[in-house]
Amino acid sequence: MKLTVRNLRKAFGDLRVLDDFHLDMESGRIYCLMGPSGAGKTTLMRLLMGLENADGGTILWERADQSPAAPAPRFSAVFQEDRLCEAYTPVENVMMVTGRLLSEAQVRAELARLLPEESLSRPAATLSGGMKRRTAICRALLAPYDVLLMDEPFTGLDDGTRQTVIAYIREKTAGRMVLISTHQEEDVALLGAELITL
Amino acid sequence: MKPSARTFPMRRLLIILFWILVWQLAAWLIHNNIILVGPAEAGLALLRLVPTKEFWLSVAHSFAKISLGFVLAFACGLALGSAAYRFSFLRELLAPLFSLLKSIPVASFVILALIWTGSQNLAVLIAFLVVLPMIYVNTLAGLKSTDPKLLEMAQVFRIPALKRFRYIYLPALLPYLISGCRVALGMSWKSGVAAEVIGIPDTSIGERLYMSKIYLDTANLFAWTFVVIVVSALFERIFLALLSSLQRKGGVSREADRSQSA
Repeated sequence: MKLTVRNLRKAFGDLRVLDDFHLDMESGRIYCLMGPSGAGKTTLMRLLMGLENADGGTILWERADQSPAAPAPRFSAVFQEDRLCEAYTPVENVMMVTGRLLSEAQVRAELARLLPEESLSRPAATLSGGMKRRTAICRALLAPYDVLLMDEPFTGLDDGTRQTVIAYIREKTAGRMVLISTHQEEDVALLGAELITL
Repeated sequence: MKPSARTFPMRRLLIILFWILVWQLAAWLIHNNIILVGPAEAGLALLRLVPTKEFWLSVAHSFAKISLGFVLAFACGLALGSAAYRFSFLRELLAPLFSLLKSIPVASFVILALIWTGSQNLAVLIAFLVVLPMIYVNTLAGLKSTDPKLLEMAQVFRIPALKRFRYIYLPALLPYLISGCRVALGMSWKSGVAAEVIGIPDTSIGERLYMSKIYLDTANLFAWTFVVIVVSALFERIFLALLSSLQRKGGVSREADRSQSA
């Protein structure tokens, strides 16, 4: 899959967030999006997912199979907030998006790589901020997708956990198109990513 | 020092006993069985009623009619509230109707319903008309309280409609629905029995209350009122228990809230 973005423009009232922005991405690579707060990282991700309409420019998704019947790309995401169903356990939150692709035992085993075993059966509302973040990351990685967008996924994670999560992301995203926004340059190297600056 | 959990039932019992005593004192002071009977006389009247076949037939009749009205209104309110949440045009279309339903006095409904349906199904219709706007309003409010960020997440992950309902809409809807039902259940009994008193359908609690009025039998009036309170409370408990069983996750949420605040 290939993504071509040309002359992308988006403003909120008088505030121009993206102005003639260009971007090229392809499957099998991880891209890191860096820029100061308010540079438009979240807006770009929302535009790519179709959650916002652009004021101008083009966003073109191309599959290797260019038949007219080729389906629209399927997205997965880690949002700026965790967006978990707080009354449900991490296992239930993940199974909500994986459906029948994975059994409960498989989901449990995957989550156990990032979270303590005892936390898997507790409602998300009782988890710490870091645990919720890891649940949101696991949910995004186990969902079926063509394109994965992660908006500051390492917020609230300590150094050790961040490295574990990065290794897990690299393992799970092989062959996919991944865009990760971050504020830390060392993440780019750890992820083996290509840097995009906003 | 915090009172222990054991002192609460005891304190409650003492409070109830205090008010029964006040009631008995008032009855002694007034000393007129038509104006006010004491708890002992009301209790005796109840004991005389309970073994009779008419008592159970009247309770069963009123219970069946009022609960049928409530259940029908619950189903319709839920369906209409959900449809109005989805289609704003329907919401606007129904707004004047529900404003009207909420403000029309029950007595006007009763007289109109007597003309339309006669007295036998009066309680069904009145309970329905009183409960419907409450369930509709709470369903709409509950669905509107759904977190838009979770809905956006569901859109991105393409979560199927049924799962969206179970994981996102239902947890938002249930607290509103339970709170609406708490009020509506009591109102359905109050308005249903009031309608029966006006319409006097055969073998109903309303008919018995009406007879108490005709014969100035205040002891029976108190006994039947007590019966209405008990049956209404039982119905409320059973229905709310059923709804709360759906809110298994809501219970977990409360536990979560407690553990966070601890």
